[in-house]
Amino acid sequence: MAYLSMGEAHRRITEYLNRFSDAVSFQDGASLKQLLSVSSNSPSLLSLADSLNVFQDANRLIKQSEKYSQFGEIIAPFFRCMQSYRTGNLLDAYHAFEKAANAFLPEFRNWESAWALEALYVVAYEIRILAERADRELAFNGKSPEKLKGAGSFLMKVFGVLAGKGPKRVGALYVTCQLFKIYFKLGTVNLCRSVIRSIETARIFDFEEFPKRDKVTYMYYTGRLEVFNENFPAADHKLSYALMHCHPHNEANIRMILKYLIPVKLSIGVLPKDWLLEKYGLVEYNNVIQALKRGDLRLLREALQEHEDRFLRSGVFLVLEKLELQVYQRLLKKIYIIQKQRDPSKAHQMKLEVIVKALKWLEIDMDLDEVECIVAILIYKNLVKGYFAHKSKVVVLSKQDPFPKLNSKPVNS
Amino acid sequence: MLSKSLDDSGSKAVEDFDWDALTVKGTCQEIEKRYLRLTSAPDPSTVRPEEVLEKALLMVHNSQKNYLYRCDQLKSIRQDLTVQRIQNQLTVKVYETHARLALEAGDLPEYNQCQSQLKTLYAEGIEGCHMEFAAYNLLCVILHSNNNRDLVSSMSRLNEGTKKDKAVKHALAVRAAVTSGNYVMFFRLYKEAPNLNTCLMDLYVEKMRYRAVTCMSRSYRPTIPVSYIAQVLGFSSTSDGNDEKDSDGSGLEECVEWMKAHGACLTTDNSGEMQLDTKASSSSLYMPEPEDAVAHGDANLAVNDFLTRTPFFCEVNFLALHKLESDRGESQGLGKATSRMPVDGKQRILI
Repeated sequence: MAYLSMGEAHRRITEYLNRFSDAVSFQDGASLKQLLSVSSNSPSLLSLADSLNVFQDANRLIKQSEKYSQFGEIIAPFFRCMQSYRTGNLLDAYHAFEKAANAFLPEFRNWESAWALEALYVVAYEIRILAERADRELAFNGKSPEKLKGAGSFLMKVFGVLAGKGPKRVGALYVTCQLFKIYFKLGTVNLCRSVIRSIETARIFDFEEFPKRDKVTYMYYTGRLEVFNENFPAADHKLSYALMHCHPHNEANIRMILKYLIPVKLSIGVLPKDWLLEKYGLVEYNNVIQALKRGDLRLLREALQEHEDRFLRSGVFLVLEKLELQVYQRLLKKIYIIQKQRDPSKAHQMKLEVIVKALKWLEIDMDLDEVECIVAILIYKNLVKGYFAHKSKVVVLSKQDPFPKLNSKPVNS
Repeated sequence: MLSKSLDDSGSKAVEDFDWDALTVKGTCQEIEKRYLRLTSAPDPSTVRPEEVLEKALLMVHNSQKNYLYRCDQLKSIRQDLTVQRIQNQLTVKVYETHARLALEAGDLPEYNQCQSQLKTLYAEGIEGCHMEFAAYNLLCVILHSNNNRDLVSSMSRLNEGTKKDKAVKHALAVRAAVTSGNYVMFFRLYKEAPNLNTCLMDLYVEKMRYRAVTCMSRSYRPTIPVSYIAQVLGFSSTSDGNDEKDSDGSGLEECVEWMKAHGACLTTDNSGEMQLDTKASSSSLYMPEPEDAVAHGDANLAVNDFLTRTPFFCEVNFLALHKLESDRGESQGLGKATSRMPVDGKQRILI
């Protein structure tokens, strides 16, 4: 770092103070937001931090003019945050920022129009990011990480400020999405329910009024929640919405949406084109899809095992595992087609031992009782139309459409 | 953790005091001691040192007395360990013993208490039956929470080594069977369950059987032999590893009773074999209310009476209610005593 003189440090700090008070006076949201984005590592903020660490007595500067001191409650802790951030003290940086944020919120509430909304977004974003880093530092030092939870509480306060009739209410969805990110990270997704209820049922909110970017993010997270609840039609609707309205150049986001949308589509019997998987690098689904097409149970199980950790982490494992039934259906259909070719008059009767043999050929060892059970489940869930005759150990298939397609509906539970 | 150094020298500065040493060091020599919840700092003469607690644990382990007695003794041991801040292999053994007893008795709240203590103790690197309890943990999540997120996160936390353990593998296989509704697999796994995995599976048996019969009623036509259903749904009794189908027919009888209690339509065919009429049953099956379960015994029983009785089999909430009362030091008659038929068809002594 180049040598920074006291004089230069003094100048830079004063410059920041001026920019801050000017931004508020001229209701310049774009400028204000830049003055608060700690983690952006912008050259001006970094040099501010350096200046603060050299000068050491910024509070005196703040107090020397009413222009600055009226925001002292916000700026003083913000300065402390920058100093700690610069020296790598993430826990202290978080604490200081939290203080600044708590002072910022009532000021924001008092400002009449929504001019400072972008700046509020930055505060919401930064508090989450700094909390995550503080928690990492705590965990590293063997302590229990609870700052992210605290950030969540602050954001609920922000939500409360935005949930009113005025123009500021369009900011509520952004804050909701920040909350989603926190709850997903903490694994406390059940907390999403209350915010969702507020957004979707409160009369002050009109979903269409919210910015597109926030709507996409919202549908992505609520879509993921539907996946967890195995509510596939709803998941399909929400994730598809997110996909359709996501910016086509934002490949990273599209990939994230597809990661969840593909298992959902597979569950309702819709297979993606190969190029889609290739374009977005979702090769982990290749074999799953092949298995579905071929009725190859062994391949499906191998694919699930190979990528087990990844699927478990993203939470789609159970969804993919349930595809087994569709794979069985496909296998039985292939047997049926072969039987039909050989002797059309007897094709609608499938002996259990033939199915056992087919599975053995796939190196899957299942005895009669187990296969009988699977067949019973397939019939029960309408993947096979017909019935099972226990005495003769024969599956009697319906003469019409014995293997109904899912037609975008999930398998009957 | 207890500190090793003890220095009572009066000339030491405040900072030099061994605060750990001020933890109570018990002197009581009683191997048998009832649980009395502490409300203030304990008198060392009522707290047992580690050597005595080891003997106490052994005593409980070998005791033939009933669950309530042993549970009470164990809570007393646990308390003595806690006030002396003893956290070592003995502590683990105590919680493991208590957890196992709780499982056998179907006392889930107590089991959960012990399991959460064990989690902390294992995390501190203390030796114990990690795998056995990892399997129980998994089964609890599978069979008790309807929450897929909890299930997926429990599964993702298993490392490679854990997944290879026999008991954990069994639990994971049970998971797969429950998720897919594969009743044949479920009851096979029930028969070959290691450790106390059966006790946890017991809590899902009723649901699984109902799912199975519902499924069968829709998919089989015209009938299924009840003997087959009894066999695949774990009603046959296999005594002591003997693989022969039960010759005394008690499994079949139990199955018939179960089916009737759930609204199944049964018929007898020409050769006298009992059959499930699947079409009729598909619209008549139902899950009975818990109160319809068979109730036995006196409605009013004194607490002291229990402590001297032989082992029994009980409903979870019954026990919880009882322990709540004994914790409060009250001795009251109990309201309702209900019982549940254990899977192997053996009638246990009921209250």
